[in-house]
Amino acid sequence: MRVIDRYAFGNALRDVDPSQKGALALLAIILCLALDHPAVGILTLVWMLALTTWRARTPLRVFASVLLTEGAFLGLSVAGIALSVASSVPEAPVFAWQFGPIWVSATHKSLMLAAHVLTRTLGSAAALNFLILTTPLVDLIEMLRRMRLPEGLIDIMALTYRAIFVLLDSLERMVTAQDARLGYHTLHAAMRSAALIGSCLFLDAYRRSQQIQTALESRGFDGSLRVLPLDYRRDPRMWQIGVGLTLSLVLARMIA
Amino acid sequence: MKPLHRWLPVVIGAALLIIFESRAAYAMHIMEGFLPPVWAGFWFIVVLPFWVLGLRRINRLIAEKPETRLLLGFAAAFAFVLSALKIPSVTGSSSHPTGVGLGTILFGPLVMSVLGSIVLLFQALLIAHGGLTTLGANAFSMAVVGPFVAWLIWKGLEDRAPIWLTVFLAAALADLFTYVVTSAQLALAYPDAVGGFTASFARFGAIFAVTQIPLAISEGILTVLIFNALQANAQKELQSLGVLKGAQA
Repeated sequence: MRVIDRYAFGNALRDVDPSQKGALALLAIILCLALDHPAVGILTLVWMLALTTWRARTPLRVFASVLLTEGAFLGLSVAGIALSVASSVPEAPVFAWQFGPIWVSATHKSLMLAAHVLTRTLGSAAALNFLILTTPLVDLIEMLRRMRLPEGLIDIMALTYRAIFVLLDSLERMVTAQDARLGYHTLHAAMRSAALIGSCLFLDAYRRSQQIQTALESRGFDGSLRVLPLDYRRDPRMWQIGVGLTLSLVLARMIA
Repeated sequence: MKPLHRWLPVVIGAALLIIFESRAAYAMHIMEGFLPPVWAGFWFIVVLPFWVLGLRRINRLIAEKPETRLLLGFAAAFAFVLSALKIPSVTGSSSHPTGVGLGTILFGPLVMSVLGSIVLLFQALLIAHGGLTTLGANAFSMAVVGPFVAWLIWKGLEDRAPIWLTVFLAAALADLFTYVVTSAQLALAYPDAVGGFTASFARFGAIFAVTQIPLAISEGILTVLIFNALQANAQKELQSLGVLKGAQA
């Protein structure tokens, strides 16, 4: 998770207004879902790859590894859509294997559906990756604030983002300390160590929240956490990219 | 169709390699773009009332005790970081806990429907697990059904079963139901051409059982151990949350 956060803060599109990047990513996801065609999915993937590597100058390796974090889920569920497991064979199977009484088969239709889902998912996941690799979470929370989400929710989310990295530091120190003392040597010890961390982490979170409360109150906290909004740059090229993206995807759908 | 016949086992082998590879199993999140728009929208509508009720409950808690705001922020972060912890799985590999059972016992199901959704959103944005359009579906399975199952068991077995058993069942069944609901969500969106919803549900259920059932058992054991440690180390904190003397929903 540190990888995504690091590139989100250090890429060339960092200071572009988050609403622009968010709108572009959402546009791509919506088009991908609405047009629903393999060509559209693949083209979206190419667009987002190009934007992330050329415009934002994020290494291709990072983009690829983020795209495949859920590779296991994707592979398994696409296989689940493509293959049919039953005691009989559907009409006109592309292939069918028999394992005892069970037939594993796929039809032309199910393979087509699997291809549709695979490309659509890769395309829209790529659009989401473009957003998270170019926009830090603080900017995304600012974007949600502009979208008029309840103030209380925004406050909790901003706090959560900060607290995650504080607690992650604690977690890593505890894991290192336990590991150095053979805390993960056997299965039994590992379970015990993990449970100790779980309870210590809870105490850590609880006490830190109280300390921050005390610190805030001693400085006149009245219930709302206000921070200065950052200065963003409006990138005129983003509009052109948005129009180009829409036209090319619609065109791809019409031709293919 | 000979070539297809030839490369398919390779693809399946590769997919199996990905699961059994040393990488730890995460809870099942439906990936961005995986659900057709109709189903993505449907699950948002289903989950919306729980979000509204959960937010109301949170606002009331904050009005009563202002320090709850900070506590909830740290609670969501706690759940998020807990899911980064690697725990040994009963099958010998390792997996990540979801924290749903523990979170529900500590904070109640309505608060968890909001906190769990924040965790899911952050997982999509920080570690690329799950997605934005599938947030409704993921939130329903993991932040609504999971917590309510855990809550029913926690309240239903209170004073009737030993506390370790109650905690184990609450955590393990919350995970198990999350996985069952996710399988049903996938099956509803992609019913089988021959057997319809039932066949598709059985198939998705079987595919993910390999990682999700061991995860549920491991998390059940882990939650019991965490709860014991909390009872020993954090009496005061548990009491102020209302866990030990019968929590409020």
